[in-house]
Amino acid sequence: MSITVKGTIDRKGFGTGTWAIETEQGDTYELHKPPSDLQKAGLKVKVEGNLREDVMTIAMIGPVLEVKKFEVIK
Amino acid sequence: MRKLVILGLLFFVGLGWSIATFQGLAAQGTYDRIVIDFREEVGSAQIETQVRAIANQFKVRPSLNSQFSEADHLYIVEGDKTLLKSLRRSDIAKYTEYIEPDYVYSIPESQTKEIRKESQPSATSQAPNDPLYSQQWNLHSIGVEASWQETKGGGATVAVIDTGISQVPDLKETKFAEGYDFVNDQIDASDDNGHGTHVAGTIAQSTNNGFGVAGIAYEATLMPLKVLSAGGGGTVADIAEAIRFAADHGADVVNMSLGGGGESMVMQEAIDYAHKKDVVVIGAAGNSAQNSASYPARYPHVIGVAALDASGQKAPYSNFGAGVNLSAPGGSTAGDNEAGGILQNTIDPSTGESIFAAYQGTSMAAPHVAGVAALVKASGVKDPDEVAAVLAQSARKVQDDGLNHFGAGKLDAAAAVKLALKGKITFNDFFRWLRDNGYLNPRFWIDGGVIALGPKLLMMLGSYLLAFFLRNYFPFTWSWSMASGLVAGSSGLFFLKGFYLFDAPQFPMRLLGSSLPELGSAIQASGALNPLTASVLIPLGLVVLLLGHAQGKWFAIGSTLGVSACLAVSAAIDPQMLWLGDGTIARLFLIVNALLCFGLARLASKSQERMV
Repeated sequence: MSITVKGTIDRKGFGTGTWAIETEQGDTYELHKPPSDLQKAGLKVKVEGNLREDVMTIAMIGPVLEVKKFEVIK
Repeated sequence: MRKLVILGLLFFVGLGWSIATFQGLAAQGTYDRIVIDFREEVGSAQIETQVRAIANQFKVRPSLNSQFSEADHLYIVEGDKTLLKSLRRSDIAKYTEYIEPDYVYSIPESQTKEIRKESQPSATSQAPNDPLYSQQWNLHSIGVEASWQETKGGGATVAVIDTGISQVPDLKETKFAEGYDFVNDQIDASDDNGHGTHVAGTIAQSTNNGFGVAGIAYEATLMPLKVLSAGGGGTVADIAEAIRFAADHGADVVNMSLGGGGESMVMQEAIDYAHKKDVVVIGAAGNSAQNSASYPARYPHVIGVAALDASGQKAPYSNFGAGVNLSAPGGSTAGDNEAGGILQNTIDPSTGESIFAAYQGTSMAAPHVAGVAALVKASGVKDPDEVAAVLAQSARKVQDDGLNHFGAGKLDAAAAVKLALKGKITFNDFFRWLRDNGYLNPRFWIDGGVIALGPKLLMMLGSYLLAFFLRNYFPFTWSWSMASGLVAGSSGLFFLKGFYLFDAPQFPMRLLGSSLPELGSAIQASGALNPLTASVLIPLGLVVLLLGHAQGKWFAIGSTLGVSACLAVSAAIDPQMLWLGDGTIARLFLIVNALLCFGLARLASKSQERMV
């Protein structure tokens, strides 16, 4: 399922660390294979991606979002 | 009329006596330690004075629960019921938030069989010589040393379904079975993330080797199954395959410190397959701080594990509620507090070199349960349902866990092994039936531990007895309205309290499952009664409103009697109230209101008699 979310990039301290996006509504998505440009805590972005219902992770912080494309919100 | 009053009084006296000698669920907990929690605002100098006073007055040695307990003002003393009572009565009590038993639960002695003694308890201390062991607060808190007197997990195999396991120096003496890397399709299942090696370390780090840290079942065999990539994610298909691989290759326990995604038949079938092959399956509850465990922890036949921090509270990130069967240390490194995490030997993924790292998460909590499950298996309990029952029954029960933060309680390795060695475990067939039927379709879940059944039945029985007494003097016919009043007032539909629908708020169930006196604290899931609802007020309102109504009147009288029984039973067993505490004041309040309710019901049925 393809979705678009707006929010702030955050680094979550589970295991060696996981990249996540926190939306304005307070939902947390785990970013699956985020491009290196997206790996910056505090970055405000709009991310388009697939919700991967078939993926399980060590972080377990919320739905897994596989990034297709993103844009930085100024 | 006087006879009626005397009968009523006799009922309360009899009730008090039967409760005092009642060996209900709430009384099965045994304890040899008492927890003293000083109030937040009490200064450290004052606490020191009080701790010294306890030592002098009761000849005990209060100690901090862990190195992190100082901030929480949490002290432990060894002692029994007598000491608990004296402590509660002493001057020290006013400086404390609570003084309560540190419960250890066990099955009654009569259900036990022969005691196996594979190894004699050693007289020496069981503390291992691993230099960093002193930093493993988590192993101390589950009482692992005492369990090692009986078994170290030899003969049991634990499959770690994770990012793989690298044979770091502190796993050198640990036994390994052949595993598989499902990500790269190869036999070598080395770790490229660090997570799996860390998890494996908690289960079976080489211990007493004079190096690094310790693990729980360090004579057990590890089976590395890599299903998650270096990035920490993997597919349901690979994970399901790994579960079947483990079951087919002799694993006794499977640990899955992973989660997410949706419901999957492939996964559920793999878990059922493993369960049929006597494999104990453990899953982490998840780290999104929400009600309901994530998949796979919520599947049937998976023991879902929530995380505790170093002070024994629910870790802030841990999931709770439906699907949480047990809680174990997962640590919390919030605010860069490394010491609050779980320390094991693993790899630095950027260099592949061996490091000692402190991680946090329900990922860390699950392998504690997997390690203890291996100890239980090694003690001779083979059936996975029985292993689950041992873990649940031996866990340190947490009072007032209305939101199910802790499941059956906090993992206790020593008590679990002791219980396992006692022999045959009787898994409650009724709960097995409930669970299996609930789990055919994982939409709902039943928390068997939430209800203290004894007091509830006593409340219902008491309300019927009261109604029976009244009937002798003011004849009435039993009716549905009367009966539903009795239930509503005394116990409510209490079985609903432990009923959860996954991903739905649980408070509607708690409201439906509460009796009238419990309504005032049902939403916040507090075990303490609210004086506004746990009093004669609601019955009075009902009687005033419904006295003129033919059916409603009997509901009002029924609920008044029900409330009377509920308050009387609460006064005797658990007089815990909001604002009023759990002492004499609360007890008096409950007794007075119970008597007022009984009087009110008497007046109401008397007026009925005149009207007839």
